[in-house]
Amino acid sequence: MEMGALVVTAGGDVTSTAPGSSLWAPAWPVLGQTVLERWIKMVQGLGVGLVSVVDRAEQQSNRVHTMIEWAREGVERILLIVLGSYAEIDLCDLVRFHYEGQHQVTRVFDQEGPLGISLLDRGCVLGHRERAIHEPHSHSSRYDFLGYVIRLSSTVSYRQLVEDALQGRCGIRPTGIQTRERVWIDQTAFVDPSVQIEAPCYIGPRARVRASVRIRGCSSIERDCDIDLGTTLDHTSILPNTYVAPGLYVRESVVDGTKLENLARGVELDLGTAGLLARIGNPQPTASGRPVQVSPDQELPLSGAEAQQS
Amino acid sequence: MPPSPVTVMQLPDLSDPSAHRSFLREVKKFMDSSRQPRLIVDLSTVGQIAPESIDLLLECVDQAERSDGEVSVAGASRETEVILELTQATSVLNIFPSVLEAANGSQPQVA
Repeated sequence: MEMGALVVTAGGDVTSTAPGSSLWAPAWPVLGQTVLERWIKMVQGLGVGLVSVVDRAEQQSNRVHTMIEWAREGVERILLIVLGSYAEIDLCDLVRFHYEGQHQVTRVFDQEGPLGISLLDRGCVLGHRERAIHEPHSHSSRYDFLGYVIRLSSTVSYRQLVEDALQGRCGIRPTGIQTRERVWIDQTAFVDPSVQIEAPCYIGPRARVRASVRIRGCSSIERDCDIDLGTTLDHTSILPNTYVAPGLYVRESVVDGTKLENLARGVELDLGTAGLLARIGNPQPTASGRPVQVSPDQELPLSGAEAQQS
Repeated sequence: MPPSPVTVMQLPDLSDPSAHRSFLREVKKFMDSSRQPRLIVDLSTVGQIAPESIDLLLECVDQAERSDGEVSVAGASRETEVILELTQATSVLNIFPSVLEAANGSQPQVA
């Protein structure tokens, strides 16, 4: 087999808050799909048949073991993606660069530094084993990437990605139907005719947007949300399975269930007991931490790496 | 023209109904006895305002409007500021960083 791709997700429960930030969690969807799902699609677009997703919390030896196994089975090149950013890398060009330069290891950099993406040759994986994989920089070549990239480490960077996508500043296209210019509404969403929408905005599957709601300032409503009467969303993202009470003015915030992070003031609040926010429905299960293998034609789940076990 | 009378109060303990009633009585008395009264509610000791306290502030606004007065809040934490904005209480309250600035009649904060 020509190539395999190993995607390493953030450690632990991907729905939980990432270390060093307040509310941000890697499983948050960006206009209908998580960054992990978008990476997998990019890799599958390259024609890679062997894609595995592992949790960073897993012992590193398991990761290494997977790569060595693949190399032994004849996989010529392994694309290692340690998730920490969204980058619109031309993977074909990366492979060409690696192949033509006869590099053993190619690491991708942008102006700020490494992006956690490496392409490793089979010989390198088998020859140097653990050292090559643990320290791919020790004898690697550098691929400089100048395109769109955002490091996802906080709620602020998450909102930046949502806004960039809605404004067309990056290649992310929201799921659902574009009902008018830069307004995407999923077919299964209910939007009351009185709702005032200021483009751009996104309303995801099965979302319910009730009468007199106002949506503006690059706001997004992910799947299975309920925005109650007369509430205004301004520069705000509502994450899946969230209920927002009537008559509120939610500005420069990200809301996940009962929790709200206000980016303008740098404040995180739990407003569940106040009755202003609630978690509704059943959030979809996400990556359990065990490696999963994704077949090329597999329909990706909405959240996390819930896929066929390898 | 004499300056508008100003009084500074703190929110009562919500778990004490008599303190709640007493607070409202005092507010009403102040509003009824003054012309264009200015009530300043000192929130500097409140970590995160409760919805019941917002209801109480709105009752104060209601009382103030009958006397052509106004209600200001001062010293709110960032958490309370977010909740005041979220519940749109900022549309009827003047927000000041401190009681002193509220009393001096500085320009209120933009919510």
